[in-house]
Amino acid sequence: MKKTAISLFVFALLFFGYIVQQSQMTSYLSKDPKACINCHVMNTQYATWQHSSHGVAGVACIECHLPTDNFFEKYYAKSVDGWNHSVAFTNGTYDPAMKISDYGAERVQKNCISCHASMVSEIKSNSDKYHNYTDPEVETGRKCWDCHKSVPHGKVRSITTTPYNLGIKENK
Amino acid sequence: MKSKFTFLLIGSLIAIVTMALLSANISERKTEKVELNKTPEISGTDQYKNDEWQKYYPRQYSSWMKTKESGDILDLLKEYPQLPIIWAGYGFAKDYNAPRGHYYAIQSNTNTLRTGAPVDGKTGPMPTACWTCKSPDVIRMIERDGELEYFTGKWAKYGSEIKNSIGCANCHNNETAELRVSVPHLNRGLIAAGLPTFEESTHQVKRSLVCAACHSEYYFKKNKWTDADGKEKLAKVVTFPWKYGLNSEGMEKYYDEVGHTDFVNKISKTPILKTQHPGYEMHLTGIHGQKGVACADCHMPYTQEGSVKYSDHQLQNPLNTMDRSCMNCHRESEAKLKGIVKQKYVRKTQLHIITMDNLAKAHLETAKAMEVGATDEELKAVRQDIRTGQWKWDYAVASHGAFFHAPEEVLRNLSVANEYAMQARIKLVGVLAKHGVMDYAAPDFDDKAASQKLAGLDFDKMVEAKLEFKRTLEKEWNKTAVSNKTWNQDAFKGTDNETAYSKTVNGEYIRK
Repeated sequence: MKKTAISLFVFALLFFGYIVQQSQMTSYLSKDPKACINCHVMNTQYATWQHSSHGVAGVACIECHLPTDNFFEKYYAKSVDGWNHSVAFTNGTYDPAMKISDYGAERVQKNCISCHASMVSEIKSNSDKYHNYTDPEVETGRKCWDCHKSVPHGKVRSITTTPYNLGIKENK
Repeated sequence: MKSKFTFLLIGSLIAIVTMALLSANISERKTEKVELNKTPEISGTDQYKNDEWQKYYPRQYSSWMKTKESGDILDLLKEYPQLPIIWAGYGFAKDYNAPRGHYYAIQSNTNTLRTGAPVDGKTGPMPTACWTCKSPDVIRMIERDGELEYFTGKWAKYGSEIKNSIGCANCHNNETAELRVSVPHLNRGLIAAGLPTFEESTHQVKRSLVCAACHSEYYFKKNKWTDADGKEKLAKVVTFPWKYGLNSEGMEKYYDEVGHTDFVNKISKTPILKTQHPGYEMHLTGIHGQKGVACADCHMPYTQEGSVKYSDHQLQNPLNTMDRSCMNCHRESEAKLKGIVKQKYVRKTQLHIITMDNLAKAHLETAKAMEVGATDEELKAVRQDIRTGQWKWDYAVASHGAFFHAPEEVLRNLSVANEYAMQARIKLVGVLAKHGVMDYAAPDFDDKAASQKLAGLDFDKMVEAKLEFKRTLEKEWNKTAVSNKTWNQDAFKGTDNETAYSKTVNGEYIRK
């Protein structure tokens, strides 16, 4: 009995090792953008980013998409996204043209501001001077990319229509 | 020594057997490579049967088959009883439904009362040209008989030959599957307009031009010719009026120049231009067209099935495929975009109906003026206004989707059309007053049957004749096509044969 149990446990351990290896699990602990194209669903996002100014400057996925100032927040966000992505990918419940979640958008917006701090502060001081915030016609709460629409993922983006997203070298 | 030789011998044998197996495997793989790289050739009569392409392009075929889902019959004459008056004396006053899927092209063409009730290959109201956009068999007929012979004679002449609905061979080369246009009139139109031909165009433009081959304004140009036996014949050839531009003004100028009139309105004796469906021309003037978006980008969106990507051949309203059509480029929510489209439709419809009412009234008031003795000379300017107004109204709405493809152009044409209709009616007040009629009000047209009566149509008679045709000649056509092996009837099994006027019960056609 004892022998069987131990051997089953060893087998389970080995099997887990196999799953870790198959799913490239450890790659998700890195900050390498290639980890994001372990599943092909993100090829579009990877290809558009790679051809963008952010890609050329070497700004990695997580530098925009995850909290950058707090270790715990970062891993909390990473776990939430990781779980949602695994569920959607395993069950095939994602749409061809994916849209960022509100929680994700909030994080990206924070990162836009933190990198482009000097420009944003100028915009802010200008609008503080000239905008009447009590006027309901003045739209507040818009995100950077409501105007900068093609930054950094291009104008046309979906799994099936994004240009140049076939044959990503790094994904072979 | 001896054992060394044994070793060498056995070693060599093993090596030889291994290499033999390997070389067999290599040649097998090489054959596979050649086979895999072969483009399927669908040749002979088979290339005109869509179900033959299914063997090689199952996804494209099965999505094309789904155009069957767009099968509802919506009687537009019932919806808009002004139409039989506006089109009195023309086929569209008899029967006119909202468009259906490509799957139904032949069925709708055969069932509509417009194609009448021929009793043999030489009777019936319509010419052969009416088949041109309905079937890949048209390519076969033009190849067999020559273009001019194809365009000569009555619609019923090809009843037993043209059975496969618009499909694969119409847009695809049968050896390479590359896009092609299989009818000559598109390139003629493009050349007349000073535009690059289909072959000179980029792939992105071709993804619209294959649609433009049919979804455009056209007329049947009369062409006298002499056949090989010296017999004089008259061909009616599908022709695009694009010489002076792809817009309503340019086309009207062209039609006036060549003296073309589609029909004379029976009620008002006005020579009328019937717009067909300038979908492509309209699309070019709209924002999507100007930005280089092709028809196929929205109507045939790329689709992913497992690890295979292909374009969806279920041509339909892109609002059914928003996630693959609109959302590639637009950042707003689907609900918001749908709301915007709806708004465009409501705006169009308001002006559409106002203009249509005024045109119908102008026809009836002209009839009244004729009745009380107005001369053709007195009514000349009135009829010219009605002709231009009706052409522009029809141009704006005939392609159905234009309210979305080119909303500004639709509203512009409708406004100008309504201005012409109103000008005609103002002139008519004067003409009628001159002949002593001061308070004439046109009869109501809120009912299809009443309007068709005003147009001098006997609906019951048309339906009875059509049903007789379906019970006799159409069945013969089907039998002949099956025995000629040019049509696979099974591929169309289970098709609902409903029309605006009849239904099928146990294979028998019954009046509704």
